Amino acid sequence: MSAELLAQVATPVVGHGFAPHWGWYIVLYFFFGGLCAGSYFVATLLLLLGDPRDRDTIRLGYLISFPLLILCAILLILDLGVPSRFWHMVFQSKNVPELMFKPWSPISLGTWILSAFGLFSFVAFLGALVDSGRLRWAPVLRLADRVRGLPRQAVVAWNVLGSFFGFGLAGYTGVLVTATTIPVWQNARLLGGLFLTSAASASYALLVLLLLRRGRAHSDPSVAKLARADRFTVVLELLLIVVLVLTLGQASRPITTGGFGVLFWLGAVGLGVVAPLLLHRTALGGWDAHRREVIAAVCVLVGGLILRFVVVMSPQYPMVPLWAL
Amino acid sequence: MAKGFYTDTTICIGCKACQTACHQWNELPAVNDGQVELTGNSYDNTGRLSALDWRHVRFIEQFPEDRSQDGFLHGSRWLMMSDVCKHCVKAGCLEVCPTGAIIRTEFDSVFIQQDVCNGCRACIAACPFGVVDVGQDGKAHKCTLCYDRLQHGMEPACAQACPTDSIRFGEVSELMVLADQRVADLRAEGVPAYVYGKEEIVGGLNCFFLLVDKPEVYGMPADPRLPSDNVPEGLGLSALTAAVVAAGSVVAFRKERMDGMGGEPPPDTGPDTVPHTGPGGGSPGGGGPPPGVDLVAFMSAVHGANETARGRRAEPKAEGGCGGACGCHA
Ligand code: SF4
Repeated sequence: MSAELLAQVATPVVGHGFAPHWGWYIVLYFFFGGLCAGSYFVATLLLLLGDPRDRDTIRLGYLISFPLLILCAILLILDLGVPSRFWHMVFQSKNVPELMFKPWSPISLGTWILSAFGLFSFVAFLGALVDSGRLRWAPVLRLADRVRGLPRQAVVAWNVLGSFFGFGLAGYTGVLVTATTIPVWQNARLLGGLFLTSAASASYALLVLLLLRRGRAHSDPSVAKLARADRFTVVLELLLIVVLVLTLGQASRPITTGGFGVLFWLGAVGLGVVAPLLLHRTALGGWDAHRREVIAAVCVLVGGLILRFVVVMSPQYPMVPLWAL
Repeated sequence: MAKGFYTDTTICIGCKACQTACHQWNELPAVNDGQVELTGNSYDNTGRLSALDWRHVRFIEQFPEDRSQDGFLHGSRWLMMSDVCKHCVKAGCLEVCPTGAIIRTEFDSVFIQQDVCNGCRACIAACPFGVVDVGQDGKAHKCTLCYDRLQHGMEPACAQACPTDSIRFGEVSELMVLADQRVADLRAEGVPAYVYGKEEIVGGLNCFFLLVDKPEVYGMPADPRLPSDNVPEGLGLSALTAAVVAAGSVVAFRKERMDGMGGEPPPDTGPDTVPHTGPGGGSPGGGGPPPGVDLVAFMSAVHGANETARGRRAEPKAEGGCGGACGCHA
């Protein structure tokens, strides 16, 4: 064939996997899953390193984590094509009660991480309920008494182990989308780390927000501590976003250009990362420090949600207008 | 004994007998009740493989855009290819399926068990060839290699219907010998033929093709990747980031102390700066004592450990397990 003729031949699109149609349920699952894992991690870290002033925060972190985990499970079930078969992820449906465990399948791995973390999250939730006096059921109180008798190292190890599973939950969602043949996703190997960092920053922001709402001052040592950690994770998030976009190069276009691009740069980067950092540095709009802290926390949370929305939706629906999603 | 298809695209005439036979045997209804809009792409009216089209004949017209006959007999040509699930030796769909719905059969084909699939849709994104699709019933569907026919010693409906034997069914190793021979013959005539689906393509395709142009021209990836290829690196980078997040958080939490600003912990404010709303939770917003249970044991235990480690757990054990360090007895 002549070169001229070859040049005129229309090249069909290279085959690749179809979009799995993961939509809002998955976006919300990624977001709340991150918060669920992150709040547990923050509470555990405070448990290990905090001081008496952090007690409310610890309790809050554990109280938030488990209900969010339940919400995540509901979102995942609703997303299934056949929701009544959700248990097929856990048991071999033709060989009950044999377990269904395929660690090389990110969804199977995620199912087990979620289940295992659920145990840690539930125990911590019960503990926080007992601590706050909201749960006074005798068997649980007896259990709490028993736990009290355990060696400290065992208790520390338990909480740290729970945090490992929490990290797994926050990070595997990013790895899950890379285990596909969808352009953008399959090359974005930093996504697990990015989602994990974003989960931590959103969790710090959520706890700051809740403490401020409960009447704590922005200068309160607990709040200040969380805000400081939040700033660190937000800076790390910015760094990871930059590296991700640079390493993806042209492949990042569905995320960084068009309608999704506007949302990504303004929402995920501008609102979720740059604005909170600026708010800590400058007295914008004459707002006092307390108000700036509140707004920064809200920005981090909204930015975290937008990040997941763009990452999940843009490679699947590059040509679909945002309002149609 | 792996069974599969050898599709020789050079003798495909685009009659779509395979598509029709597949629909008939597998009782696949027409898409959108037969109300199909024209794709505008040659004679293609189904567009792609889908939950209802398990065979898809591609039409590739290699002509100048003005449709002039300049190139006629000088390279202008039709390429036709009947696409199908490749029943990969290393199948991405099977790899990621979290329910075990996708299995490898005794014929080495890749089969989706409809009574197990729960519609998580992981397989859709994992197939490098865009084969699997989700149906109206919420479950994943694709070619079964006519598993029911194979069990009765019959060949798949498409292969049986193909009038030119462009689609041949049989033992993969035997089919590959045929394909290699055909490639040699075509090359001897100056046609740049080759087999797409040898080992370098995700471990080999049980349903492979003889092509005469680049794979991309037929809508197939030149270098397909398995989804699992990305997982170890992704997990490793996540673990590394987790370590950085944890280390950074530790530094942020300790900074106050490092700066010497924090000094000794302030007087314990106790737990009840936060309103308790639950039973026995004390008065809202008040400073009432906590309920009968002291701080959850593990909290107090760890707190105690921390304070001891820092050498300033001044108070001996008070009334509860936390030694008062948490303020739960304030
Ligand atoms: S072509 Fe796609 S659907 Fe068919 S076996 Fe390979 S990965 Fe699975």
